[in-house]
Amino acid sequence: MSHAANTRTPYIVCNQVTKSFGTHQVLQGVSTSFSKGEVTVIIGASGSGKSTLLRALNRLEPHDGGSITIDGVAVTDHEATLQKQRCEVGMVFQQFNLFGHMTVLDNVTLAPRRIHKISRSEANAKALQLLERVGMQAHAHKYPWQLSGGQQQRVAIARALAMEPQVMLFDEPTSALDPEMVQEVLEVMRELAKSGMTMIVVTHEMGFAREVADRVMFFDQGCIAHEAPPAEFFARPANERIAAFIGRVAH
Amino acid sequence: MLTAIWPTHWSRTQRSNATLVSALLLMVGVVAALGELLALLPEPIGDHASEFAEGARTTLYLTLISGAVGLALGVAAALARTSAHQLLRSLASTYIWIIRGTPLLVQILFMYFALPVLVPGLNLPDFAAAAIALALNVGAYNAEAVRAGLNAVPRGQAEAARALGLPKTRVFTDVVFPQAFKISLPPLVSNFVALLKDSSLAYAIGVVELTNVGNRIQSSTFQPVETLLTVGVTYLVLTTLVTQVTAAIEYRFDVEGRQK
Repeated sequence: MSHAANTRTPYIVCNQVTKSFGTHQVLQGVSTSFSKGEVTVIIGASGSGKSTLLRALNRLEPHDGGSITIDGVAVTDHEATLQKQRCEVGMVFQQFNLFGHMTVLDNVTLAPRRIHKISRSEANAKALQLLERVGMQAHAHKYPWQLSGGQQQRVAIARALAMEPQVMLFDEPTSALDPEMVQEVLEVMRELAKSGMTMIVVTHEMGFAREVADRVMFFDQGCIAHEAPPAEFFARPANERIAAFIGRVAH
Repeated sequence: MLTAIWPTHWSRTQRSNATLVSALLLMVGVVAALGELLALLPEPIGDHASEFAEGARTTLYLTLISGAVGLALGVAAALARTSAHQLLRSLASTYIWIIRGTPLLVQILFMYFALPVLVPGLNLPDFAAAAIALALNVGAYNAEAVRAGLNAVPRGQAEAARALGLPKTRVFTDVVFPQAFKISLPPLVSNFVALLKDSSLAYAIGVVELTNVGNRIQSSTFQPVETLLTVGVTYLVLTTLVTQVTAAIEYRFDVEGRQK
């Protein structure tokens, strides 16, 4: 993990991104960029727009105004382009969203088999490697309902990795987990960060942000209120709202 | 239930397959042997056994054909009903509204008597008219069962599939529909069993199915108790066999082991 942020070329660029739900404007002109190899942690109160920005990046939530580009290509409704972009941008959800009617192995192999048209045996071999990486190879033939939340989330990470994405988005990956399962998921994410994966993580895990992030971004009322490297962000909170927020979630 | 009789060490899929195969074989066997079985009974059943068997076969064919078409219709109408296109939604709603709001008997009579008047030259044979009317009818009810299933699949399932880069059709066929279908199965089975019994209304346009046969025999022999009991028991045997098949299908989808 290198911290030479200024030498990197931006991979995802957001320019004046806006989004409203009804009359409520959730994103009020967000401009930022995310570079290859960088780990960004986005924090902020619920409703501040941090998850909406993340979901706008792969267009699960289409933005209303401004632009988002991935590797120079605009994120729009153009279906073929969007599918290619989504293959490059893996996503992990708060509620895991494993496919309930499929085994762990089928969850991981579905997208590679359908999109890259690789054989089932080849996909299985690759999926088992990924499951080993997240410590789930012993559970390959189980169904999601037979797994704990932490195990499901580790499978969900393997499923996203199976498409060999350039970037991984994490939308509050540990918020739905019992406290004792949070660490096993964070451990997998730490390992992923060490391997040089580009990550954008919406979380309330301040320890993870402090330890793994290259930059910490604070969302407030639909804007990026502040961003800084973690050491600076936590040591010298830029304003009282940030200090108050850090104080609240630290307990 | 047949699903419960297999060795305990068999897997869910093996039990499901075994049930499916044996229930289908049983169904074919019963339908094939029905004439000979009924021939063993005393008058007035024994000497009319072949008519009963023929009527039962007609009932089963009518049900299977309209059931299959009705399933396809139901899925299509459910998709239209939940589609993003206003026109498709309205078409599906209108179809369901008309079919559910009018009696099946009227629909069967309309298909046989009124359609040739409205569309000159289109004279459907009685069996075809009944099959179409029954398929249209069960299709409307199936549409609502399938729609309930589609709505019950959590939004996150489709989102996760889309986020992986899967094309829309794959999101539907691989992720949403299998889960929706599993949820829809019990009401679909109810509709199918109801269809088997409702096919008796084809009697009104002269289709020689089981009820029609029974009624003809009871009025010619003046022995209504024996004939109508035979008709009732034959329906019961058919619906029991059908529910064995559908139970096997439900069991196959039961990855969560909720059915013992």
